[in-house]
Amino acid sequence: MKKGKFESLSFKIMSSIVITSIIIIIGIFLAFEKINKKAFYNVEVQKATLILKTIEPVVAIDIYLDMQSKIRLLLKQLIQNKDILSIKILKDGATLYVVKSKNKSESLFIVKKDISQPNSQKKMATIELNYSNHNYKQLIKKYNKLLVVMLIIMLIIFILLSLYIDKLLKPLKQIARVLKGFSPEKKIQMEPIKQNNEISLIVSALNEMQKKICDFTNKQKDINIFLEEEVNKKTKELQAQLFKDDLTQLPNRKKLFNDIEHSKHDAALLILNIDDFKEINDFYGQNAGDYVLVEFTKRLLHFFEEEKNISLSRLSGDEFSLFFEHKPSHRTFMKVVNRLTKEIEKMVFEYEQSEIYIRVTFGGTMDTDEMLEKADIALKLAKEQKKYFLLYDAKLDVKRQYKENMEWVKKIKSAIKEERIIPFFQPIFDAKTQEPVSYECLIRLIDTDGSVVSPFKFLTIAQKSKLYPQLTKIMIEKSCQYFQHRETTFSVNLSINDILDVDMVAYIQKNVKKYGVNNKIVFEILETEGIDNYEEVSSFILSMKRLGCKISIDDFGSGYSNFEHILKLDIDYIKIDGSLIKHLDTDVNVQIVVETIVSFAKKLNLIIIAEFVHNQAVFEKVKSLDIERIQGFYLGEPEKEILEN
Amino acid sequence: MIRALLFCFFLTQLLFGYSYDDLVLKAQSSIFPKIMLLDKEIKNKLVNNKIIYTIVYDEDDYQTALHVEEDINTAFKGHFDKYPYEITLVNFSHLSPTIKTSALYVLKSSKENIKKAANIARQKGIVSFSYDVNNLQYGLLFSLHIEKSTLLYLNKEYISMKKIDFVDLLLQMVKFVEKNGAVV
Repeated sequence: MKKGKFESLSFKIMSSIVITSIIIIIGIFLAFEKINKKAFYNVEVQKATLILKTIEPVVAIDIYLDMQSKIRLLLKQLIQNKDILSIKILKDGATLYVVKSKNKSESLFIVKKDISQPNSQKKMATIELNYSNHNYKQLIKKYNKLLVVMLIIMLIIFILLSLYIDKLLKPLKQIARVLKGFSPEKKIQMEPIKQNNEISLIVSALNEMQKKICDFTNKQKDINIFLEEEVNKKTKELQAQLFKDDLTQLPNRKKLFNDIEHSKHDAALLILNIDDFKEINDFYGQNAGDYVLVEFTKRLLHFFEEEKNISLSRLSGDEFSLFFEHKPSHRTFMKVVNRLTKEIEKMVFEYEQSEIYIRVTFGGTMDTDEMLEKADIALKLAKEQKKYFLLYDAKLDVKRQYKENMEWVKKIKSAIKEERIIPFFQPIFDAKTQEPVSYECLIRLIDTDGSVVSPFKFLTIAQKSKLYPQLTKIMIEKSCQYFQHRETTFSVNLSINDILDVDMVAYIQKNVKKYGVNNKIVFEILETEGIDNYEEVSSFILSMKRLGCKISIDDFGSGYSNFEHILKLDIDYIKIDGSLIKHLDTDVNVQIVVETIVSFAKKLNLIIIAEFVHNQAVFEKVKSLDIERIQGFYLGEPEKEILEN
Repeated sequence: MIRALLFCFFLTQLLFGYSYDDLVLKAQSSIFPKIMLLDKEIKNKLVNNKIIYTIVYDEDDYQTALHVEEDINTAFKGHFDKYPYEITLVNFSHLSPTIKTSALYVLKSSKENIKKAANIARQKGIVSFSYDVNNLQYGLLFSLHIEKSTLLYLNKEYISMKKIDFVDLLLQMVKFVEKNGAVV
């Protein structure tokens, strides 16, 4: 039988009926079996007892009167009964009379009855009747026969019932078969059922439902076609937008990426950037900028109208690219650059009675790997080197540098976050006593492995990545905090940019006050950077000196020191640049320069500090020049902690 | 001499044996007292708390009466069931209504003697037994005869007697004798 047959409704209904009926029949059968058999047995017992009750008085009087022949006759008559196997009359354990039947039936039970004297209840003897199972067996046989007949009748009823249920549910199976072939496109024909029952209702409902589904499907199909068309339309629009610049309608950076990806390593790229385009926007306004970009695009398109190998894209605000689908010769490539340069130089954009001129810088590459990055590097270098064009050359090795810089930026940021930027302290000694009189706070980065990183490795990058002010702030706060309770002066380096930064100045003042180090702190201003804004610097020095702070000019003599201007700055110390001190013992010219500086400083009553004193000879020379303070590895290296007496 | 004695003995035996069946006498000796006890009114018929069983005989039957007495004593040994008994032998000539007895056992006699005994028994309301079934027609109550089996006979007139009340079963197993001596 198939699995489906077991799961069919008709099978389940029938099996439920059959199981329930079987349970009931078994229950009834067991109950009847027990009750009836017992009842049959009891009937036989009653019959035997009745026989004994009936004959007992007669036997009693016969025994009483000792009428033996009569007793024998009576017993003989009794034994004719098929149900009686034997009759015994016992007196005081001895058998008085015994009659046995020829009947071969088995004994069912034995009944006994006392025989009493007729005129009193005095026991005379006992009559014992052995009753056969003949009648009992007959009854059971009849009963079992009846049960079998009943079961057969019930079985027939069940079979007929199952056939009837199957017939009743047959239309459902037909409906299911027909429904299997249903699809919204293919309407199925369901024959109406004449009977007015649940199945006819289902058929009618299914026909109704089928009609609705078909209607709905047709509508849905129309909607789907419409939506599909719309989606295709929108997809095309979006695809176009994805690869198109809104303003100029030129292909955008994404399109360029796409072109490069499919270039099969036979292409060249030229990026051009409009110089100082921001100024156009700032001066003439955003609309003028947009106008220039649109017009510029038109002219470029016109210029390359006949060049099928070159496609123009807009990469960002003021940056365009020329993609050579097939790599041109170097000469052709340069020719395009030069022609375009000349053409652009001639371009004038008239906007609201203003004439706007533009200049461009080119960066190009003929290397097919990482074209955009390389062309971009070439462009940036061209800008830096103030050239109108630069072709990428592997020798420039700028890519590695870029990467390294980016990694350093990451390192610095994480060091700031994890408080791994700390000050180291290098002692500054009195030349005469050779005792430390002050300490210079020098920035150090503690790497994740615990190694100490020198500032020359990361300070330049910090300046470029605009992290420098954060480093300065850290140094200010940590140095002030360190010397808060120490009776010695200390110096902190400040760049010109720090001094010009109003927020930074406020931060410095706040910390100086907070830690009460105004009489201990010395600000070392780097002279090498070239002090242009003397007024601002002077103002800073003045405000700091009001607080009681001291000012020192660091790396004095390294740059183009403007003595006149320095005179105007109310400074306290001059620290002679290490590059001079380093060769003091060997270079006569250096000795002359240092002597001049010392002489100059002495006249101004400035205290002179010689840094980078790295050996005995230099140390002796410094002392001989009457320089008051000495700093350098010869006397003391920068340490995390200062040695305190 | 021996021959003469043997002849006398056989003759006596012949005469006696002709008159009474020893088997019947024995049966009657063992059954009649029991039937007497089946009378529900037996308690009212005790004499000095004893059952007096009177054997009425003719002069010639004295030996038979003694023989019966002996048989009864052998069978019952002083007690009819729970009641002690006493057997008295009374000659018909001495039988009078004043006799104190619980039952009468009447041996063979003349019609008049039998009627006399029957009347006394009826007057006193006691059970009367007869050796001879034929004597029931003269008014005696019970008799017993051995044929193929032992048969009890009861005078149908008994039913009208008020002072005697036998257990019902007894009535089911007896044969009734009509007034004219016919057996029903």
